[in-house]
Amino acid sequence: MLRTPAQVRAAQLSLAVAILLAWELLPRLGVIPKLFVPSLSEALGALVEYRAEYLAHLPATVVEILVSYAIACGGGVTLGMLIASSPRARRMALPVLRSAYAVPMVVLYPVMMVWFGLGMGSKVGFATIFAFVPTLLTTVAGVASLSPNLLETARAFGASRWQRILYVQVPASLPTLVAALRLGGALVIVGVTVAEMLGAVEGLGFLITRHRTLLNSPGVYGGIILVLVITSSHEVLLRRLELRVARFREA
Amino acid sequence: MTQPIAHSAVSVRGVTQVFTVDGQTTVALAPTDLEVPPGQFVALVGPSGCGKSTLLSLVAGLRLPTGGALLCNGEPISGPMPQRIGMIFQEANLLPWLTATENVAFPLKLRGVPKRERLEAARRMLELTGLGDFADRLPHQLSGGMKQRVSIGRGLVQDPGVLLLDEPFAALDEQTRMVLGDEVLKIWSSTGKTVLFVTHNLSEAVYLADRIIVFSARPGRIVDDVPVDLPRPRTFSMMSSERFGALKDRIWAHIRDADH
Repeated sequence: MLRTPAQVRAAQLSLAVAILLAWELLPRLGVIPKLFVPSLSEALGALVEYRAEYLAHLPATVVEILVSYAIACGGGVTLGMLIASSPRARRMALPVLRSAYAVPMVVLYPVMMVWFGLGMGSKVGFATIFAFVPTLLTTVAGVASLSPNLLETARAFGASRWQRILYVQVPASLPTLVAALRLGGALVIVGVTVAEMLGAVEGLGFLITRHRTLLNSPGVYGGIILVLVITSSHEVLLRRLELRVARFREA
Repeated sequence: MTQPIAHSAVSVRGVTQVFTVDGQTTVALAPTDLEVPPGQFVALVGPSGCGKSTLLSLVAGLRLPTGGALLCNGEPISGPMPQRIGMIFQEANLLPWLTATENVAFPLKLRGVPKRERLEAARRMLELTGLGDFADRLPHQLSGGMKQRVSIGRGLVQDPGVLLLDEPFAALDEQTRMVLGDEVLKIWSSTGKTVLFVTHNLSEAVYLADRIIVFSARPGRIVDDVPVDLPRPRTFSMMSSERFGALKDRIWAHIRDADH
């Protein structure tokens, strides 16, 4: 059992099929009330039925995710790299950032709405503060786990501080950056969706909430499926990136 | 009018090193003096924690001494001087994402040497260290001995006058250690570089060096300065000679005393 790659793949596939089958059959057989979970075919049906509406709201969500991703992950990784490269900065900043990590950021969403309004601004603002610190801390942890030997060697050969960051620290921590992006990206998607659900005029989260208010469960699940498509695409892209940076692992 | 002053390749004058960790001070190196004339092959030996590696990292400019002064060709060492002093570590410490050639060329890249020029220089170094056929391999595709050859090439690529080796063969098997020792001797005798070589292996020290500096246990200080009067080129059969054994015994006596 599960010896060859083919067997593993077959097992993964059958697990996926089993979950989808359960999703289809349990509501149909009345084991789960349809209001709680409509069957898979009903959810897909809703997706087709309201396709014009979903398509109209999808771009807002995607744009909010991309902008927040760029700010939170780009900024978190860059700042994390800089903080990690200096022991003094690490000592100074990490306690503050760790405390910030413990704050439930969702309490700040009303503030974001006051600052940035009901449109994209508040979604981007919230998703960014939601994902920024965890991305930064994961980056710092990744850099801290590198062996100091390579940096020391680079120093012996005359590398300046910037050369050490650029030529040694960044490439050496690329594999762990994938981990930072995986976490940061997931949090950005959660942040945008939650923000849209809490108060918005457009976006997938907004649609999900509206369908829920109308007790239209298939419509809710249609939106959920679209959010799942976004998170899976993110994961697929990260796997590709992971393969590409595999050779940067310390030998 | 002025006569050219003959400087030592490396001068260590009253150098001390004290570490303070959590309020605990440790004297790693008691005041130490050492003059190494150009072209000399010096081995530094002593028990673990005797400060010989500390001294090497001071010469490399990787840290500053608590007291005293270090000079290279008469100029104070205040930081790494990669064009004058090449360093080879116990681990090869190669960048895993760069090929053997790119690793050897790395010090030149840091100095902004154009790509074609630095890769050409790196290839010449790999030929010299016997790795010409492995120029495009990544470190994980190389054996431990080959990695250390790459690291030697990297230490030599800027043609520094002084070469520092910090237990370079400690992680290698006996056979590879012998072969690489001979390679280092060959390079040394054809280039006339000054070599400071830290090792735990007394046979290796006697086999390679002109002069052996023996350190005591902490606080590290020099307890003996042994000239090695074996003829060159050194051969494997010398290792069973009486003189070789006598030199080893003299050094061993210090280390054995220091450990108790």
